[in-house]
Amino acid sequence: MKTKTVELVASPRAPHFVGDGFRVHNFIPSGFRLDMQRMSPFILLDYNSTYTFPPSDTPKGVGVHPHKGFETVTIAYKGKVAHHDSSGGGGVISEGDVQWMTAAKGVLHKEYHEAEWSKKGGEFQMVQLWVNLPAKDKQSNPKYQAIKYADVNRYELQNGAGNIEVIAGEYKGTNGSASTFTPLHMFNAKLNKGGKADFRFPANYNTALLVLEGHIWVNGKEEVPTDHLALMANDGESFEVEATDNAVVLVLSGEPIDEPIAAQGPFVMNTREELAEAFNEFNTGKFGYLED
Amino acid sequence: MHENFNKYLRDNWGMTDVQVAQLTPFIKSKQVYKGDFLLREGEVSTLTFFVEKGLLRLYGLNEDGKENILQFASENGLVSDRGSVYFNEPSHYCIDAIEESTVISIDNAFIDTVSGLSPDFRKKNDRLLHNHVRHLNRRIALLLGATAERRYLEFIKLYPDVMLRVPQWMVASYLGITPESLSRVRRELAQKNFKP
Repeated sequence: MKTKTVELVASPRAPHFVGDGFRVHNFIPSGFRLDMQRMSPFILLDYNSTYTFPPSDTPKGVGVHPHKGFETVTIAYKGKVAHHDSSGGGGVISEGDVQWMTAAKGVLHKEYHEAEWSKKGGEFQMVQLWVNLPAKDKQSNPKYQAIKYADVNRYELQNGAGNIEVIAGEYKGTNGSASTFTPLHMFNAKLNKGGKADFRFPANYNTALLVLEGHIWVNGKEEVPTDHLALMANDGESFEVEATDNAVVLVLSGEPIDEPIAAQGPFVMNTREELAEAFNEFNTGKFGYLED
Repeated sequence: MHENFNKYLRDNWGMTDVQVAQLTPFIKSKQVYKGDFLLREGEVSTLTFFVEKGLLRLYGLNEDGKENILQFASENGLVSDRGSVYFNEPSHYCIDAIEESTVISIDNAFIDTVSGLSPDFRKKNDRLLHNHVRHLNRRIALLLGATAERRYLEFIKLYPDVMLRVPQWMVASYLGITPESLSRVRRELAQKNFKP
């Protein structure tokens, strides 16, 4: 079996605010060599590195906006987010929780710091991913998978190296509880200082490692510091991660969706005509209505 | 560089690829940030702005300081105060950037260069001007007599992506209705069209 090597290590780009509640570094699609096709099916990765929000009686966040054609995955590492959508759904994403929202044929939603958390403020660290859907599933019904931290399946590594929390896909026989439309793996690798974990994915799967805490070496050769992302080459199957101090690493690997992408704003479709239709559906209320 | 403007020159002003290349040294582009002014009320401006990327608005202020938006200009749109550009009057309006934008400033010298290069230009530009007047008449008719819903439905045909790029009060201002009326129209459309 060939080793999957590191193609590049991306530094966090200058942060920007999404609404007033998320201070994010965008890695996909604006990072060097990290466009939507290169990392398909992962077409967006916004990383809110640890940032301290002061207390606020008015929760900060992002007001009503639509999505269509893909799924959003929100992973809360620190802080709490409340969300509401146009079909009356809603909930709170707390530390360690994962919210997997299938926007598919279209939703309107809003996301804010949870009201009580907002009043106290504090450290906030979060990842939001967009996972593309294949053309045949873009018109499917919206749905949520709310995965509480306690329910995330874990694989214990040997020798106290740490554990692998499997959100989706599979790690050495441990399955993630999120169902996906195309084959992909999503793990939080929590490694203790000196801990090692090995991973194996098909060579053609687009793969990246985001280091949220600590410091890692990949294949004993490439160093990836905190808040950096390692893009893995499509040249082999297996690689090893070693933590030089306690580390949290988001591991993403998925089979590319080999279809054209037409993306504008919050819509990701296959053609320009479908994009125009998505704007029209939003404008004419086909995603429902939600008060700001 | 200026892909949209080059395409505009070819498609709307009848320029060939060679003529577009000849014009390139005369194209003046600049970056403006959200909130930057390109024209302030009272100034005399000789410039028309083409939006290569981003979003601008043209608006006037009434006596109590309320903004009335006359026009949005997103990618491939042109915006100016014609009173100022063609009649040398102090402007009644402001132009500012709603998003970080790349704009091309078009002055009379540029227009003269274009018309020197392309014999078709004057005819093509007349047609664009008539189209603009046609649009303005339509807009006056909507403002005088149409329901809020009709105004909104015409707006989203003209500007399909602007609802997602500006605060709702700006759209309400453009439509000459209150933000509450715009919310009501959108809520009623959703009640009719939302099939969960």
